[in-house]
Formats: sequence, structure tokens, C-alpha cells
Amino acid sequence: MSFSFKKSYKILLFFILFMVVIGIWNPNALLDGLQRGSLYAVIALPLALVLGILGVLNLAHGDFLTVGLYIIYMLNTRFDMDPLVSIIPTVIILAIMGAIIYLLTIKNVIDEGHLSQLLITFGISLILIEGINIIWTSMPRNVYTNYAYASTEIAGFRFGTYELFYILIAVGVLVGLQIFLKKTRLGQATFAVGQNPKGAKIVGINVNYVYLFVFTLAVAILGVVAGFMLPRTSIFPAVGSPFSLKSFALAAMAGMGNLNGILFAGITLGIGEAAINSIPNYGGWSDIVFFGVLIIVILARSYRGAK
Amino acid sequence: MKRNNLLIISLVLVVTFMFSLGTFAQDDPIKIGAVNPLGDITGSQSSKAMELAVKEINDNGGLLGRPVELIVVDSELKPEKGAAAIDKLATVDEVDFFVGGMSSGVHQAQIPSLKKYEKITVWAGAASYLAEEAVGPDADWYFHLHPWDYQQGASYGEGWTQIAEKNEDVEIGRIFLAYEEGGFGTASFESYEEYVALAQEGEGPYAGIIEEFEGASFKSAALGGGEYRAILRQAREYDPDLFIWAGYAADAIPMLAQSREVGFEPSLYVGAPPGWPADFEANPLSDKVVLYGMWAPSLKEVSDIADHFWQGYIKMHQERPATYFAPLGYTNIMFLAEGIKAAGTLEKDALIEALRNVKYDSPLGTTLEISPSNVISNQGFTKQKILQYQDGKQEVIWPFDVSTAEIEYPFSW
Repeated sequence: MSFSFKKSYKILLFFILFMVVIGIWNPNALLDGLQRGSLYAVIALPLALVLGILGVLNLAHGDFLTVGLYIIYMLNTRFDMDPLVSIIPTVIILAIMGAIIYLLTIKNVIDEGHLSQLLITFGISLILIEGINIIWTSMPRNVYTNYAYASTEIAGFRFGTYELFYILIAVGVLVGLQIFLKKTRLGQATFAVGQNPKGAKIVGINVNYVYLFVFTLAVAILGVVAGFMLPRTSIFPAVGSPFSLKSFALAAMAGMGNLNGILFAGITLGIGEAAINSIPNYGGWSDIVFFGVLIIVILARSYRGAK
Repeated sequence: MKRNNLLIISLVLVVTFMFSLGTFAQDDPIKIGAVNPLGDITGSQSSKAMELAVKEINDNGGLLGRPVELIVVDSELKPEKGAAAIDKLATVDEVDFFVGGMSSGVHQAQIPSLKKYEKITVWAGAASYLAEEAVGPDADWYFHLHPWDYQQGASYGEGWTQIAEKNEDVEIGRIFLAYEEGGFGTASFESYEEYVALAQEGEGPYAGIIEEFEGASFKSAALGGGEYRAILRQAREYDPDLFIWAGYAADAIPMLAQSREVGFEPSLYVGAPPGWPADFEANPLSDKVVLYGMWAPSLKEVSDIADHFWQGYIKMHQERPATYFAPLGYTNIMFLAEGIKAAGTLEKDALIEALRNVKYDSPLGTTLEISPSNVISNQGFTKQKILQYQDGKQEVIWPFDVSTAEIEYPFSW
């Protein structure tokens, strides 16, 4: 769970250079990419946390986000609650739901192989998607708020302002997690469990409690993301599913347990995606570039590791 | 003597048995097998509208003195399930007719099964010309109600030409199409390319009205996308008279909202998704958005049968019809019923002939008549309508004979 700026200064320099080049070429692509990439990162952070501490790849990760979006949609349509205000009850509901699902399912396969863990989270994913489909049908739904599509113009450069929040949330969640892991007793215990669960158990850390807490926290964070996302997106039963894959891709690109790296990876891939989208008739290449960059980074890291 | 008595008793029993068989056959329901995607609003509302039609028919004494039974099977919008549903309806339920359904992909998978049984089929949905080619020219038992994709494109051209003639301010010389990168959007793009090429040679439905065309693809929110700002900036630079997006319902609100965010304000903003999101008309961004479709709730104000359908559907299901597949499903059953009534028999050849001569005044605001299309001989509707959201209502702006409002022009935020 660390990222050394001293060790990674070359990567950092490359990252800054990349942003400068894109910014000069197309400032809109830079800003769109920063915003979109931050969203990818803030969704990937909880997945990386669970992967790093529990060692479980949660295939239902994006579907918990979907549940959060529908809870906020329901609070808005039934009680006229603003999506940003709805974050508080949604975080609580998702935390309870996450804890129950962990105790009923994931806890029982935590010591099993990865295949069992993948299958059980895949099953949870299917149940969540079909459950939503039964309750709300597949029809897309929206919550419209005026502020979510506000824009401003500075010296002829027009840009949307709402998604700048994504950058703040991504940085906020990252800093919050780092403070939690380094400055609190529970966080230090969590860090220890992530490093060596058997050793942590020997020194008296309640590993099961840490696992429960981390999984619950990860699902609860998605409630915050859902609150900010809902005014900008259509919701339907499978809306969160693509984010599971992208989150895993970011975790893989950043390296296991590297939370800071996820923010950089998210922004890099977000800007790359936006840059491709802004080239006329090459929008369809964005996924190829996204996963192409991912493969190159993973191969480069393994090559460097082998040396 | 005893032998004679036995013979008489046997004859009486046989005659009684045969007579009872005949009586049962007379009371046996006419079975209509429908295949619809029940998890999707198009399929669920179409099925409910079919139930309404069957109820009305049975309340009026059924058909040929027999009750009508509707058996609905869910296709789940999956080709393999859709094909299996046809087999199940034919072999297990032993239906007399097939009706339904939506999705060209699903329908293409069903066509081999339909050809196997060759029962009279009245199909409501599926617009792809590929489905028409799969049916082929020899299937005289096959009736198709929804306009084929090429008929839809031609009717939009006809509609815009007439609208531009009627309203001098309306210009559509420059078109920009934003299309989702999958099969649906790409097919739309290719259609427009063909229309523009024809128009530039002075031919086709857009001749004399389109001068330039440009398109760009985007990843639909339904498939993990949802970021349109780059493509909308391209459209803004192009400065089209008419902007069309061909995506899915999930793209509707974010597309509009991001258009406003980047300051893109074309004179005509047209959405061409297969369906719209829930409560789209209640969203303030929907005002003056133009759409294509077969029906609008406002048709009840100009058509008695549309009003009858609207009232009956709400009374029976306690919900409003929200998609044109509802009145199309109702039409699907009623058209078949009109054919059976006219034929006076279920005999196949007589019924095919009768269906070809039916003129059904439908709740879609158009009279349904059968005519040949490019490939098949029994095509129903041939035109779509041009609609516009105005003050939270869908209004019909073309064809003019069923229009419920004038076009509001230009589009503005």
C-alpha cells in the first residue's frame, strides 16, 4: 500500500509530460480525461483495497455501485431528495448490505482458492443485476439536476464544471484511505493484515473483523461515488458492470496494493481515452487504446522485475 | 336380434362420440401464440395490449363462435430463447397462429422455425432488411406490420421534405449523425450515407433537401460508454441544420445534457433510439426534441380508435401505454381477428386472402393495409411518423393528416 515518489520520479515526469502534450494539443481532451479518469480511479480504489487486503477480486464491485445508484434514484423520486444529500443514507444502507453479504458469502470462501472467490462474487453480481431488473425493469432512468450540467467559459475555452468534483472526490478518497491506513490503529491493523494475515493473527489482530470492516468500507465508498455520478448518468441494471473490469484494469496497471498508482493510472487512461475520442472517426479505438496501454504497462513492469 | 341391438347401440355410441368431438372442437379456443421480451417495456406493454384485444374480442362473442386464447412466451430478447418459444408454441401449446415480437436479431433466429411450421404469422416488430431477406419472397403465410428499416428512412425523407415545404424557415441541408458504434448505429450511418449519395444525384427520398452529411460514432452508455462531449464538439464545429443521434435510451438524457454543457444548439435536435428512458418527457431538456416513432399518446385527441385503445389499456392495466409497441401489439391481434372474421374460416388459403384485403383503422393513427415490400408480399405499415416533445407531451408533427401540433422551430435550450 505504498507509492514512493522518489523511486517513481521517471514515471511521474512522464505523466506530467503526457498531460502537458495533450493539454497543448487539445485542452478539452485533457480536462475531459482528467474528469473521466478521476471517476475511474475513485471507483477502482475500493476494489483495489479489497483486492489488496482480502485478496479477493470482487466481480460484483460495479454492481454494488449500481445498487447505490438505484437507492439514490429511489430516494430522489420517492422523497424528492437531492442526489448529493442522498449520499449519507446510501452510504449507510450500502455499508449494512456489504457487511451482510460479506458475512453470508465471502467470509466462507476467504480461505478457499481464487476460483471459489471469483465464482461467488460472480454469483452475487448476477443476483444483484437480476434483482434490479425485476424491481425496476431494464428501462433506463435518470435524475436531472440543473447543476450537474453547468458549464463556464474562460477566454473562449468552454468546459463543464460539475465533473471537476470527480477529481476532488478521487483525491479525497485516496487521501482519506492513506490517512486511515497510516494514522489509525484499525488502519495499521488493516495494513498489517494486508501484508501478512497469519503474522497479524499471531500478534492478536482480529483478522476476520478487519476483513469485514474493509469489505464494508469498500462497498460504502461506492455510495459516495453513486451520489455524485447519478445526476450525470442514465441508470439501468448493468450500468455498473463495465466499471468492474475497468477497476480491475486500473488495479493491475497500478500494481497490487498501490493506491496512489490507481489515481495516476485512472487519469492516464482517462486522458488517453478522451484524446482518442476527440479524433474524428476514431472514437471506437478508445477501448483498444485503454487496454493496449494497460497491457504495455504490465509487460514493461514484468520485464523490469525480471531484470 | 341381440346382434342387431348391439350394432344399433354401438352406432349410437359412435355417433354420440363423434358429435361430442365436434361440439368440443366448436368450443375449443382459437389459440394465438405470442413471443415477446417480457423484461423489456416494449414486450411487456405489447403483451398487455394483446391481452386487452383478446378480452375485447371474447367480450364480443369470440371469433367464429369460439373463444380466443392468447399464450405469451418470453423471448428474453435472446435469439435462442425466441426460436425455442416458436417451437414450444407449435408443439406443446399447438397454437393456430404466431404473433409478436421485437428485435431483428431475435426474429432472424425465429424465421427457420416459422418456416418449419408455416402457420399464419403476423409479426409486429423487427425492422431489419436482413430479417426480410431471411423470410424470403415465397412465405405467403407471413405478414409483417412494422415498417422495414429502408421504408422508415424513406418516410423520414418524405416527412422532412413536406415539413420544409410547409415551413419556409426549416432547413435541413446539413446533417450530422452521431451514431453508437454497434450494429444498430452503424446501420443507421450506412443508410444515411446511401441516402445522401442518392440525394446528391438528385434521387431518393432526400433529393433536393440534403446537401451535406457527416457522421461520427460514440460508445453508448448502454455498453459502458456515456461520454459524448468530444463528438458533440465535432458536431458543434460542423454546425448542422439537423443533428441526429442514433443510440439507445440510456444515451438520451446524458446526450442532451452534455450538448447543453458544450454549447451545442442545432436548429433541429433529433433522437432516433429504439426506446426512450422512463419519464423522458418530464425532463426539461426534452422540450423541442424531435423523434421518430409510430405513435404518440396525443393521437387519442385526433383518432377515436386511438382514444378507445388508450382508455381501455389504462382501465385494464392501471398504467399508461408508454411505447408504440403497445398499440402495435393491440393492432397485431385485431388485424388477425378482422381477417378471421372476413374469411369466416381458419382455412389457411382463405384466411391469407382475407388478411390481404383487411383495412384496419388502427390506434396508431394509420389504416393498416397489406401491400408488397422489397421482398415479402404481405407488408403492413410502410411509414413512420415524425414526432416532437412539446411542453412535456409527444406531439405528432407529420404526417399532416394526423398531426396534433405544428413543429416548434428552432430547437433551443
